[in-house]
Amino acid sequence: MDDTKYGKRNKRGDWAPYAALEAAPFWSKPWNMSKILNWLVSYVWPWNAFHMVTALAYWYFVIPDVETLKAIHWTWALRLYVVNALAIFVFYGYFEYQLYVRRAQGTSFKFNGKFPADNPSDVFWFNSQNIDNFLRSFLISIPLWTVVEVLMLWFFANGNAPWLSWQEHPYWLAVVVLLVPAIHEAHFFCIHTAIHTRLGYKWIHAIHHNSVNPTPWSSLSMHPVEAFLYHAVALWYLLIPSNPIVALFALHVAGFGALNGHIGFDKVKVSDDKSFKSHAYAHYLHHKHFEVNYGGDQLVPLDLIFGTWHDGSPEGEARMQERFAKKRAKLNAQ
Amino acid sequence: MPQWISACDTDAIEQEEVIRFDHASQTFAIYRSPDDQFYCTSGLCTHEKVHLADGLVMDHEIECPKHSGAFDYRTGEARRSPACVNLKTFSTKVENGRIYIEV
Repeated sequence: MDDTKYGKRNKRGDWAPYAALEAAPFWSKPWNMSKILNWLVSYVWPWNAFHMVTALAYWYFVIPDVETLKAIHWTWALRLYVVNALAIFVFYGYFEYQLYVRRAQGTSFKFNGKFPADNPSDVFWFNSQNIDNFLRSFLISIPLWTVVEVLMLWFFANGNAPWLSWQEHPYWLAVVVLLVPAIHEAHFFCIHTAIHTRLGYKWIHAIHHNSVNPTPWSSLSMHPVEAFLYHAVALWYLLIPSNPIVALFALHVAGFGALNGHIGFDKVKVSDDKSFKSHAYAHYLHHKHFEVNYGGDQLVPLDLIFGTWHDGSPEGEARMQERFAKKRAKLNAQ
Repeated sequence: MPQWISACDTDAIEQEEVIRFDHASQTFAIYRSPDDQFYCTSGLCTHEKVHLADGLVMDHEIECPKHSGAFDYRTGEARRSPACVNLKTFSTKVENGRIYIEV
């Protein structure tokens, strides 16, 4: 599979797709049913289906029984942390190993032509993006993911959140499950915009942005405040009548799903002629340009509404440059 | 009163390269462009005070090694976030194989 059929590489070796990013097809009229059907398939498969499967696996094999959940105790909390850490180690580690250690597909479909391991930088702990990102993930973000998980389960177990059963409310719960990625995107846009304010960026979000050339380990490399707010998306399901499995699904869309924006490759090859899409480009553009694409792939079109959407096209670039020129003029006039 | 300071030999900088030059507690970045002209800017990125001499020169742009902010080193203009404040530029001249900057 030749990446030059799908995109072009610039002088410094960075690859970009020819095709501009497209928002969810509901937001462009007239509706194109074929596009909508294709989008629905890619909405579920493979990533959200994977998160749903892991949520179910957790519920049946990892989460303690409801009686145990009624009282927070370090033993089951620690067990959850260990499982979360192991799961992320295996899941993220697989992609890190294949794409960045083995470099199994070289720079094919790689947005940034360089590999972070080849460029030590003192912005990172131990001058290493990999070590820095790995340690921040396992010492800060995954513990805070677990804190959110423990709180969420404790609230449900004690009857402090509306817990609907699948037998009595199958249609409503199916709707909520389908909305989980949309709620995630809206939540992410809101907290992300908040930590992109001047002080929020300086004190909180700058850590995550140190990785201008992100890899899987960059996904959860965050300041503690950001890590908690990011995973707190699961706490919305204490207000929305739902079910702890739905809340776990939301937590996994956040925790496991963070990989998508940071994988660094547009397509992951599985054989010489087969690959799957990473959905990484929108968030890669955010890491590259800082002030675009605060949300996701515009399932919830908040970047489109607020004028911060960059679809990778020359027009998107021009819109960003126009905003940047205004900001630059303002700052340089001071 | 501006004065011309001898910085380095012209052959100390390759085309599309940059070097750091320190003088009187100031730090500068001196560039040699692809069309063989010499330029000088203040040496630290306006975003987070990182030495630009460790960055990447491509055409007429210098990219900061820390966050990939970019500047046009001919004019000092910030070209890419997160760098928004322009770099200060300094005049250069070449005499007898030496680069001088006006400080």
